Amino acid sequence: MRDIWLVLKHEYMRHVARKGFIFALLSVPLILVVSIRAGFLSVAASMDPKPAAYVDLAGVIQVIPPAAAPSLDSENPFSNVELLPYATEAEARAALDAKEIQAYYVIEADYLETGAVRLVAVDRPNEGLSSQLADILQYNLLSRFPPEVQKRVMNGPVVEVLAMDGSQQMSGANIWGIMLPLGIGLLFFFGISYSSGYLMSALIEEKENRTVEILLTSISPNHLMAGKVAGNLLAGLTPLLVWGGSAGIGLIILMTSLPESARPDVDPNLIWISLLAFIPAFLMIAALMAAVGSSAASESEANQYSGLFTLPLVVPLWFMMLLIDKPNSPLSVGLSLFPFTAPIALTMRASFTIVPFWQIALSIGLLWLTALACMWFAGRAFRLGMLNYGKRLKLKEVFRRSKPTPKLEGGHE
Amino acid sequence: MPAIEVEHIAKSFGKQCAVSDVSFEVNPGEIFGLLGPNGAGKTTSIRIILDIFKPDAGRVAVLGGPMDETKKDRIGYLPEERGLYQDQRLDRVLVYLATLKGLTTSEAQKRIGAWLERFDLAEHSKKKIKELSKGMQQKAQLISTLVHQPQLVIIDEPFSALDPVNTQMVKDLLREERDRGTVVVMCTHQMHQVEELCDRLVLIHQGRAMLYGTLNDIRRSYAGHAVNVRALADLPAALPGVANITRHNGDTRLDLLPGATPQAVLQDLVARGLPLEMFEIAMPTLDEIFIQVVKGQEDAA
Repeated sequence: MRDIWLVLKHEYMRHVARKGFIFALLSVPLILVVSIRAGFLSVAASMDPKPAAYVDLAGVIQVIPPAAAPSLDSENPFSNVELLPYATEAEARAALDAKEIQAYYVIEADYLETGAVRLVAVDRPNEGLSSQLADILQYNLLSRFPPEVQKRVMNGPVVEVLAMDGSQQMSGANIWGIMLPLGIGLLFFFGISYSSGYLMSALIEEKENRTVEILLTSISPNHLMAGKVAGNLLAGLTPLLVWGGSAGIGLIILMTSLPESARPDVDPNLIWISLLAFIPAFLMIAALMAAVGSSAASESEANQYSGLFTLPLVVPLWFMMLLIDKPNSPLSVGLSLFPFTAPIALTMRASFTIVPFWQIALSIGLLWLTALACMWFAGRAFRLGMLNYGKRLKLKEVFRRSKPTPKLEGGHE
Repeated sequence: MPAIEVEHIAKSFGKQCAVSDVSFEVNPGEIFGLLGPNGAGKTTSIRIILDIFKPDAGRVAVLGGPMDETKKDRIGYLPEERGLYQDQRLDRVLVYLATLKGLTTSEAQKRIGAWLERFDLAEHSKKKIKELSKGMQQKAQLISTLVHQPQLVIIDEPFSALDPVNTQMVKDLLREERDRGTVVVMCTHQMHQVEELCDRLVLIHQGRAMLYGTLNDIRRSYAGHAVNVRALADLPAALPGVANITRHNGDTRLDLLPGATPQAVLQDLVARGLPLEMFEIAMPTLDEIFIQVVKGQEDAA
C-alpha cells in the first residue's frame, strides 16, 4: 500500500505543483466571480435609488406586504425601492418634476373593473418596479382571503406534467433544470479529459524515458498502475472540485439574492445518479487512455486517439433538445444506456423526468462492466506495450496473447 | 551461493528469437560483464533476470531464489538509454525513486544529499532534470541506482555520455561497490571497459552465450601461438622456432612455429645477449576474441 501511496502522491504533485496548473485552477473561478460581480454591479449601477410613488384612486392599497417592502441595496439589482403614496396626481407630478421620485403609478378609479394602471416617468424606471407594485396590489386584493389562499395565489400553481407511461415529467420552465445537468456534465467531461490526459502523458513519458523499467524493478506493476490511475484521477478532479465548489458557492450567493420563485429546485437524486454514473465513467476513460498511452509509439500518436474516447461523452449535448422534450424516447433511453454517452445523458434525463429504476440500474451496471473490461484491456496493453519502445502495439496482439501470466511481456533489445 | 543463476534461458517475440540459450552464474563480490554487440540479447537477458519478462524456457534464480517483490528493494537497476522525469526537480525525482526502494523520505534525503555532494551535483539539486547536462543526468541515474545500498546492481551501458573524468569516477565507484560486497553486473558492448573492470564475463552473440569465465582464462584460451617482445636493440631478421616477425609501435610480435615454445625463444634471445624490456605471451584483446568468435560462427554457418 505504501508503494501505491508514493506513486499516487508523486503523480498528483507533479501536476498540481506546476505553476500553470495553480494559475489555471485559481484563474477560472476568479474570472467567473469577477464577471458575475461585474454583471451585478453594472445592473445595480443603472438602478435609480430614488423612491417611486403611487396615486391610489381606486383605494385598493391598505398595506405594503413584507415581500414588496423597500430593501434598497446598491449592489443588488433585484432590490426594491420605496413606494410613496400620494393623494393626488398633481402632487406626484410635482415630486417627479422636482426629481424627488423616479416615477409614479396612477391606479385608476375603475381599476377593479378594468385593471388600468398608468405609469408616468421621465426616464425609464427601475426593472422590477412594476412587479413590485403588482405584488402590492395582489396582496391587498387578496387581503380578505385566508393566509393560505393568499400564499397559494401569490406563489402560483405547482404544475406537474405527467407522461403517458405515468412517470413524472417536469415542465421545463425552470432554467435550472437545464443548467444544472449541463453544468455537471461539462464539469465531469473536463475532469475526465484532464485526468485521463494526464495519465496518458505520464505513461508515455515513462515509456519514452524508460523510467518504467526502474519503476517495475522497484514495485509491482499492479501497484504502479493503481497509484498512477488514482493520482492522475485526483489531479484531474482537483480543478473540478475547486471550480465546482466555487460554482456552488457562487450559486448559493446568487440564490440568496434571487426572488424565491426563480430559485432552483434541485432534486437530490440527480446528484446521486450523476455520482454513480461518473465514477465508473472516470475509470473507463482513464483505463482506455492508459491503454493508448501504453501502446502508442509517441505522445503525438496517442493524442490522435484520445479524442475518440472523450468526444462520445459530449454527444448527449448535441441531442439536448431531444433529452429535454422527450426524455423517455427510445433514442434518449439508448443514449443513457450506451456506456460512452450514459454519464451525461442519464444525468440530463434524470433532471427532466423520473428515470425508471431498472434503466438507472442497467445504465450504471453497463458502465461498471465496461469499466472493468477497459481496465482488463488496459492492464494487458500496459504489460505488452510499455516495453515495446518505438513500436505501436496492435489491437489484435492485446487479445491474441491471452494466456494468463502475471509477468510482463513485450519488446526486446 | 551465486547471486544470480541463469540456466538455459530462451525468449522469443513472435518469430524473432531474442535469446536462445544463455547460462551463467554471478558470484558474490564480483563485477561481472554481460557482453555482446547491440541486438545480441543482453537487455532481454537482464529483463528476464529482473522478472520484467518471463522466459519461454530455462530457469533464473536471483539472490537465492526466484525473483519476487521483496527482492526488488535489494536490487539497483539502471536501464540503457535512460532518462528521468524531465520537468521535475532533481532532488524530488531522486527522493521519489529512493522511497520506492524502501527508504523513508528523511533517510532518502540524507543519503541523496551526500551523493549529490560526491558527484558535484549539490548546487544543481533544485534544477529540473532537463536543465542538466547529459553527464549530470547520467550521474543522477547512478545515484538512484545505488542510493538504497543494493546487494545486486545491474547497470546497462554505464559509461555512455560520460567524459573521461566521470568515466574514471564511475569505475572507481563500481570497484568500491564491489569491495563493499555488492554484486555488480555490467552490461556493455565496450570490450575495453570490461577488460579493465570485470572479474568474469559472459559474451552473448545472437542470443547465445559464446564465452564464459574469468577474463584471464578466456584470453588464455584464445591466445595464439605467439609472444610480444620489446628489445632495446634490433632483433635478428630470423629466429629459430619463429615463423613470422611483425613490428608495431616499437613492439615486436613473434608468431611461433608448431612445436616451438616461448621458453625456448626466450632462452635464445637471452643467449644472444639482446637487452629485453618486455617478453610476454601474446594475449588477444576481448575485441579480437569477439571478432574471432563472430567470424567463427559465421564461417560455421
